[in-house]
Amino acid sequence: MSTVQKVARPDHVPPGLVVDFDFYRDARYEPGDPHAGIAKLVAKAPPVFWTPQNGGHWVLAGHPELFEAVRTPEVFSSEKQGLPPTSYEPKQVPINSDPPEHEIYRLPLSKAFSPKAMLALQDDIRQLAVELIEKVRPEGRCDFATEIAEPLPVSIFMKLMGLPLEMLGEYRVWVNELLASGVPEVRGEALRKIGVGMSSIIKARTDQRRDDLISRLLDTEIDGRAVTFEEMQSYCLLLFIAGLDTVMNGMCFGIRHLAKDQALQAKLRADPALIPEAMEELLRRYTFTMPGRIVARDHEAFGVQFKKNERVLLMLPAADLDPREFENPLVFDLDRENKVHIAFNSGPHRCVGSHLARLELKILYEEMLSRIPTFSLDPERLAQTHGGHVIGFDSLGLVWDRS
Amino acid sequence: MKIIIDRQACVGHARCQAVAPELYPLDDNGYIDTDGFTVPEGEEASARRGARACPEKIIRTVNDPSGKDWPPKA
Repeated sequence: MSTVQKVARPDHVPPGLVVDFDFYRDARYEPGDPHAGIAKLVAKAPPVFWTPQNGGHWVLAGHPELFEAVRTPEVFSSEKQGLPPTSYEPKQVPINSDPPEHEIYRLPLSKAFSPKAMLALQDDIRQLAVELIEKVRPEGRCDFATEIAEPLPVSIFMKLMGLPLEMLGEYRVWVNELLASGVPEVRGEALRKIGVGMSSIIKARTDQRRDDLISRLLDTEIDGRAVTFEEMQSYCLLLFIAGLDTVMNGMCFGIRHLAKDQALQAKLRADPALIPEAMEELLRRYTFTMPGRIVARDHEAFGVQFKKNERVLLMLPAADLDPREFENPLVFDLDRENKVHIAFNSGPHRCVGSHLARLELKILYEEMLSRIPTFSLDPERLAQTHGGHVIGFDSLGLVWDRS
Repeated sequence: MKIIIDRQACVGHARCQAVAPELYPLDDNGYIDTDGFTVPEGEEASARRGARACPEKIIRTVNDPSGKDWPPKA
């Protein structure tokens, strides 16, 4: 049950476009398989609908509608993204920026997270993946979410950023509160705590540079002049949040699918060159992020009246299951003619971490498939998932033959 | 067969290069580094795959010998 009251339907919202959908904890989300519920929603709901939950907001669930909205930033602004609206939502650049400011703040991150720059991390990623996988292999079972998926991307990211690894556990709690809580006060407090944590590291690196991303960003120029402390706080807060929960959940959705499809496991073990293709279809099938937007001015589109200051949820998972774009969308099809998904979003705010994410996913799948024998879901430990801006796993039990 | 790219609309997914590395060059930041090119003979399938891989749909094929250019007309 949401602790935020349901909002009454505004007059300009036709009753036929109202769908009661709580993207944090909707009853449609099946435990362990939120996409089953999303698919049911997609089958019944219009591609653009309005929900009274979480402060009342629009939902763009259709692929063409969402595709158009993300390239119309003058209407669908990124200035505010979090739902339900909270009084404390500091502006983070560039995620809360619109053009033309967006590009100025985005550029240093594009450089830092370019495909080429990320390839330099591949040995570190592989070493860490192997370490984590080999630790559980003799056990014949593991909670993939907490023992592999959580530490792997988080450790790589913290290493990249120069964050102290001893803080791993605490950081994870804060991110969870921020992304999965849905209670405005809890979210606001989590944002504040993360901000304080980042500020102290920025100060430390300002005094003494190290070979890490925070140090490199400190020496970055924004539009020809030095980056300010506030801008560093903004970058760090954004990168902190963006890097910790996302790849972890990408891995869990992929591995859970593989655990249920042993023929696919066999196919990929026999020909690991197929892993990148499989990875893309897994990203489509289990797209798991839902960013927000705020309406910058009254606008009519998709047969709907958007009013200034209304909030909009970009329901990427629904768009990647839209039957108008993907035939038999629920079918995982390695040979699907159109595998082009928007799991990393589309338009100017395309996930800047996508190259790092893909590299980590690829290496994880390669090492899991080559080191762990055929694995399946642990019947004694059912997968636990949660909704929110990042749909994710709390636990994912796997078993395999340890002989 | 030609490839035409709306270069300023590139947002750096890098999918074109991922599926057809010999044909789609990227700059150091991971953005497409060309407005387009004539497809070398024998590389038509690769060029087509690269075009279709772009989530922004900014890569067009012209005179694809398969008879179907990308993206399809709405």
